[in-house]
Amino acid sequence: MGIITVLWEKWTEFKRDFYKITLAAMVSPLMYLIIFGMGIQTTSHGEPYLNFLIPGIVAMSTMTGSFSAVAQNMSVQRLYEKALDQVMVSPTPLWQFIVGQIIGGSLRGIYAAVMILILVYPIHTGLIFNALSFGIMFLNGLVFSTIALTLSFLAKSYTDAPRFTSYIIMPMSFLCNTFFSTDQMPSGFREVVNILPLSQASAMIRGIAHGQAPGAFGILVLVSYLVIFSLISVNFIYKKKNL
Amino acid sequence: MIEISHLTKKFGEYTAVEDLNLTVKTGEFFGLLGPNGAGKTTTISMMSTVLLPTEGKILIDGKPLTRKNSEEKRKLSVITQEYSMRQDMTMDEVMEYQGRLYFMKKKDIKEKTEKLLEFSGLIDHRRKIVRHLSGGMKRKLMICRALMIDPEILLLDEPTAGMDALSRRQMWNLLRQVNGKDMTIILTTHYMEEAQSLCDRVALINKGRLDAVDSPQKMIESLGAFAVDVFQENMTKSRFFTTRDDAIEYIRNLEGKASMRDTNLEDVFVERIGRSLMKK
Repeated sequence: MGIITVLWEKWTEFKRDFYKITLAAMVSPLMYLIIFGMGIQTTSHGEPYLNFLIPGIVAMSTMTGSFSAVAQNMSVQRLYEKALDQVMVSPTPLWQFIVGQIIGGSLRGIYAAVMILILVYPIHTGLIFNALSFGIMFLNGLVFSTIALTLSFLAKSYTDAPRFTSYIIMPMSFLCNTFFSTDQMPSGFREVVNILPLSQASAMIRGIAHGQAPGAFGILVLVSYLVIFSLISVNFIYKKKNL
Repeated sequence: MIEISHLTKKFGEYTAVEDLNLTVKTGEFFGLLGPNGAGKTTTISMMSTVLLPTEGKILIDGKPLTRKNSEEKRKLSVITQEYSMRQDMTMDEVMEYQGRLYFMKKKDIKEKTEKLLEFSGLIDHRRKIVRHLSGGMKRKLMICRALMIDPEILLLDEPTAGMDALSRRQMWNLLRQVNGKDMTIILTTHYMEEAQSLCDRVALINKGRLDAVDSPQKMIESLGAFAVDVFQENMTKSRFFTTRDDAIEYIRNLEGKASMRDTNLEDVFVERIGRSLMKK
């Protein structure tokens, strides 16, 4: 029930800011597609670079869409509007509030990815995006919503949210299998980047797009992040003495 | 009944509330008074579980109030000092969100919203975004939101701050009305006349510690029911007397300008809390 309440709240926010959210979801990925995919025409692994890039951009969009839907909003609610107080005092179980935030954030990530898929549809790449791809997108969205929630709980000021984007989201966008394969990275660094959630999400979505099944290791990595950050969030909201 | 026992809240080295012990009976209108920084808001925040105490506990009808205890939290509603609500929602959405957080039925949410917004004169602004409302309107909306769920206990932290005199009176009437329905109300306020007019009992808090608890009338009587204000050397000094005759006799023997009036809660506050602040 509490989960539905949070999803309702997210839905009212989405309806109100529909154009802003849609534009924000499309602008950067579209730029990357135009510049790297169409402007600099090249091939990768024997096929058009776009076929490599599009799954990466889709994974990246689920990440940025989910992260921004939760991080900015939650920091403002907690530190500036104090709207979180309304939830804290209510009988809605706080774990349900967290689950609602995470699912709501992930759905926003999927929305961003769908926008990209609509934009690239006319290109006829032959890439496959099926229920399994959407499952991975949803899981990736859950992971980054949870990370965003944890960081917004730890934030000291509501202006910290853009900093988190600079420190976490931007490096991952460029390093984690979006624009080039992590295989090309030097050993040692490659292993570290490979256990970052976006690397695995990109690899799995790209694999499915080329007709392969997602690997168990990738799912395990994403689920591990989800469990760890969910536990931190739940612990924070129940135990933190000064919210 | 609310029982607060040995409640302490520390922020690092700073102690905001220290060993606070209070009992508030069901249906009582209880005031928490104190100067700025006395620990009133911190106490209300602990009673709404936004802050967790460093030590001590709060019991509601004998059961501990915790963040996990949804059953006890269902009885509570809070009006905070700040406009703690989504600024990008409309009034209708703020009310619906509250109703949903308390698991109200959609039909009840709609009916209650109509009734409360109508009563508070906000009905014509119901589709306005909170960010675009005046301070007084936001305050009224917070009160509507708190009453939306028919709470058993209402915690009010400076509920009429920023309201004009008419709205404040209107709010007093509303609070008296809901208190008459056996709702327990805990109020913090800077308006002493508000506390004197509304509260069955008040607690004076200073530097996080409880200074006194009694009914406003008894506190006033203990100071002296009649006050004489003496104007000397560009200052007003007040003296308090148990009987009117004593006060008149005092004025007769004075050489300067003086006036007599009934003692009020503000006098009690200034005498008890003000003096200790001045000593410091």
